[in-house]
Amino acid sequence: MLASTHVPSVFTGSADAVALVVLLSEFAMLRAPLLRSQIRLYSFQSFAVTGLAVIVAATRNLNELFIIAGFSFVLKVVLVPGIIMRLLRDSRVDLVGSHRLGVASMVLLAIVISVFGIFVVGSLPIHSQSLPTPALGLAMAIILVSFLLVILRSDVVSQAVGFFSLENGVSVASLVVAAGLPLIVEVAFLFDLLVAVVVFGVLMRVHHNRTKTLSTSVLDRLRG
Amino acid sequence: MKLAPAEIQALQDLTIVVFAPLVSGGIAHIEGRLQGRRGPRILQPYYDLVKFFAKETLVPEDASWVFLAGPVLAFSCYLIVPLLIPVLTNYPLPLGYIGDILAGGFILALAGFAVALAAVETGSPYAQLGSSRAMTFGALIEPSILFVTFTVALITTTDLPYFEAAAVRSSMSQIVRPAHILAVIAFFLVVLNDTGRIPVESHTSTIEFGMIDEARTLEHSGPAFALLRWGSAMKQLILYVILINVFIAPWGLAGSRSLGAVLIAIPIFITKAFGVGFLFAIIDNSFSKLRLFKITEYMAVAFLLAVLALLVLFLGGG
Amino acid sequence: MSWVLIVILIVPLLTSLVCWWAPALIGQYLTLISGVATFALALALIPTKTVSAFSGWLQVDALSIVFLVTVAFLYGATSVFAIGYVRSSGNKASEGNYNRRLFAGINLFAWSMALATIVNGLALLWVAIEITTVVSALLVAIEGTDGASEAAWKYVLIASIGLGIALFGTIIMYYAGSTVFGSGYELFYSKLLSGASHFPPQVMRLAFVLAVLGYGTKMGLAPLHTWLPDAHSEAPTPVSALLSGALLAVSFYAILRFYQVTERAVGPTFPRDILLAFGLASLGLAALFLSSQEDLKRMFAYSSVEHMGILAIGMSFSAKIAIIGVLLHVLAHAPAKATAFFGAGSAVRKFGSKDMTKMRGGISLLPWSGTMLVLAVLALCAMPPFGIFRSEFLIVSGGLSNSRDFIAGVLIVAVSIASLGLTWFTSQTMITAPSADSVRGEISGWIVASMLIGLAALVVLGIHPPGQLSDLLGRAANELGVGR
Repeated sequence: MLASTHVPSVFTGSADAVALVVLLSEFAMLRAPLLRSQIRLYSFQSFAVTGLAVIVAATRNLNELFIIAGFSFVLKVVLVPGIIMRLLRDSRVDLVGSHRLGVASMVLLAIVISVFGIFVVGSLPIHSQSLPTPALGLAMAIILVSFLLVILRSDVVSQAVGFFSLENGVSVASLVVAAGLPLIVEVAFLFDLLVAVVVFGVLMRVHHNRTKTLSTSVLDRLRG
Repeated sequence: MKLAPAEIQALQDLTIVVFAPLVSGGIAHIEGRLQGRRGPRILQPYYDLVKFFAKETLVPEDASWVFLAGPVLAFSCYLIVPLLIPVLTNYPLPLGYIGDILAGGFILALAGFAVALAAVETGSPYAQLGSSRAMTFGALIEPSILFVTFTVALITTTDLPYFEAAAVRSSMSQIVRPAHILAVIAFFLVVLNDTGRIPVESHTSTIEFGMIDEARTLEHSGPAFALLRWGSAMKQLILYVILINVFIAPWGLAGSRSLGAVLIAIPIFITKAFGVGFLFAIIDNSFSKLRLFKITEYMAVAFLLAVLALLVLFLGGG
Repeated sequence: MSWVLIVILIVPLLTSLVCWWAPALIGQYLTLISGVATFALALALIPTKTVSAFSGWLQVDALSIVFLVTVAFLYGATSVFAIGYVRSSGNKASEGNYNRRLFAGINLFAWSMALATIVNGLALLWVAIEITTVVSALLVAIEGTDGASEAAWKYVLIASIGLGIALFGTIIMYYAGSTVFGSGYELFYSKLLSGASHFPPQVMRLAFVLAVLGYGTKMGLAPLHTWLPDAHSEAPTPVSALLSGALLAVSFYAILRFYQVTERAVGPTFPRDILLAFGLASLGLAALFLSSQEDLKRMFAYSSVEHMGILAIGMSFSAKIAIIGVLLHVLAHAPAKATAFFGAGSAVRKFGSKDMTKMRGGISLLPWSGTMLVLAVLALCAMPPFGIFRSEFLIVSGGLSNSRDFIAGVLIVAVSIASLGLTWFTSQTMITAPSADSVRGEISGWIVASMLIGLAALVVLGIHPPGQLSDLLGRAANELGVGR
């Protein structure tokens, strides 16, 4: 009675499901009204990415990846959200971010753009050895939706979170096609992210000190 | 003792007709308990139905025959749908082939249309408000239903509910596949919407402004109203059947045509329905109702999940 | 010679640390020494072939030496200018702090850019360029004005997202390589090049497009250039010079590294077409915007967009002579744009504003730096005898020799339009009568000296580039795949 053409294995299915969770939390960030919940979602998303890394490390016997997963857990699940959260607490204004579009239209736009990304990657002859290949399409979708997050939300926290979650999307992609990257390179990537976070934090603080707001709608002096 | 397929089919219908008020009453009771009340009696919907059937029917002055025909048409629609879906058996019954999931959806939509039409007949502003809202949100949730159907169709290469249920039963990998999980969540959201529960609508409220489905029946009375109430309980149970016996837990169904197997499937199904009802009651108590204009966001989420289900299938990873 | 690489990486870093702690004066002179020393070391590398250190993680070949020399030259010239720049600032109150940060930042920025040219492999290249982003973003914000913080935020956000895309491209490139080398290899250039012809072409195309989008954002290719005019105009002038002359070039270097591999994997047509599209967009857009600027530094920023467009177009002409022209253009654009920014810095200090409508009589009031600013603008407009004339001449003749006549024609027309805007505004501000109450006199001798250095380099490149340099450019062009 069962007529399905291709049934993924339990491993494939659950790995894809985790990648989907990462994508869905990106969508949730896009619509999250509170900046605080956006940061929590980022933390959750990073946790899912870390989980994916652990899955790859365990199933493909890549011991180095355990170290990376550990680093990225400390950095992306604990440290980065902590830094931004603290900034948010200090600023005491603008708990609510600003949308430039209605939520439903944003989500529809994001759907369209992720379909585009998924089909672009799907048309490529890429075969992963560490994770199911569809996760690469999902990673592309995550990256594209994070663009929307940066473009459609006009406050510094959302934009920074958009960049960090873009990095999460790239992490998923690297787990799919580049799980064997040398350790030194991966550590360099993570270190770079840490530096970037600090700089983002400094600039957010500068912005907040000057304008007394987290909104970027005041940033319209320079043009032409 | 073997039952004829036609007898089982009739039994399916009968199960829905008879036990729909029981499930509604059960959920209302659980809800009451969760809120620290004693809650209404589980059998209360039956008493209500008896009471309404005994009352006279009042028809608004300007209303035509549609006002009374609507509830009857709706009720008969709800009688047809159980013939198409796996209520008691895990093997397809003869009439199960006359329509797929989409056909079931269309017949349910026809019922909704009939009720809306009857409500519009009255000329009452609240009833009209309710039907226009119900139609609008019905149209908005429609894409999600379609994409869930497409997903089922891609998984099973047919869109008969029996085959999807069989696929789910067949192996663990069918259950954890992302397409299935996403489709289930999307359909769950659809059911929440279609049964008029929070966060879309608070079904117990008496505030007309927030009403959608409930507002449509405001002008009906007597046996017509009883049919509407009964029908809405049946619709709820039908949606539970699809959710449970097709997507979430298609186990415990009769595997043969023997009387015992079929009869034992009835209490098992009712238990499962109570389980889902319990979940719905918890959701009801833990979320607040969305503002009317925020409901589109809810629809967008359901649509997103359904589209993603289809996408991962296309990618070959679903 | 591998010690040279290590010294180049240690000296600016140490100087940066010392600048952070030491008194202002010591920091200034140390930066000067470090800048000059780095330039001298980079020059010493010119005749060498391939130099590597740390078991191959650091390596320079002809291509990277071209860019290393560019960065090191700008580092040296800027360290001269920066002394004049901070000494001429009227604001004494926060000077110590500002001074410390600025000099530490300039050294660190120069270090990160040198690092980008010295590291071996696409992954570390990305890491180094990301460091340049974060350092330079802080430098853009250093003035602490509303404009500076706005520009810094836009810059760090747009550039970081661009680099996110570039990282994605790098990972895709890694995948393409892993189909040949298996997983767990370093992304060394030579390794990638050795197997490039077997890489899956479709995947390489995606990797290249992502890399051009990503690093192109950093390089200021239209329509991804939006951060560039803001950052260039709001940053302190020494930083503007480094951003424009060196940082954009380093990003171009990253694109060239991808180009090398892609060209071997999928043939030259695809990468050239992509670069051509971005180049034409940048050139056209810059030519239009150049004629409507009021802010002096913003005008030079758009001129940078224009020159980056020329580089991209030059790469799309396949002739060797055009590729040599592109590399020479990188070398010549740095001193030209730096001199222009140095002159702009002098003018801004003199007139107290970046607004060109408030500047009149620059040459009369600033007899040295005003004149040299005009000369630098002429150099940017590709007038002989300056280096840009030679490089653009090579690029155009490369295009003509490869029967890309139409594109070469478009290039000439767009460059002429851009030159028109540039010279018009410069002559309005410089070659007019000064207002009555203004005082004649230079701002600082250091600024004049830095501009003299820049012009001297331009003249050398324009009249007769040293033989070893021409040899280096030829070798670098061969590495880019024209000699095969």
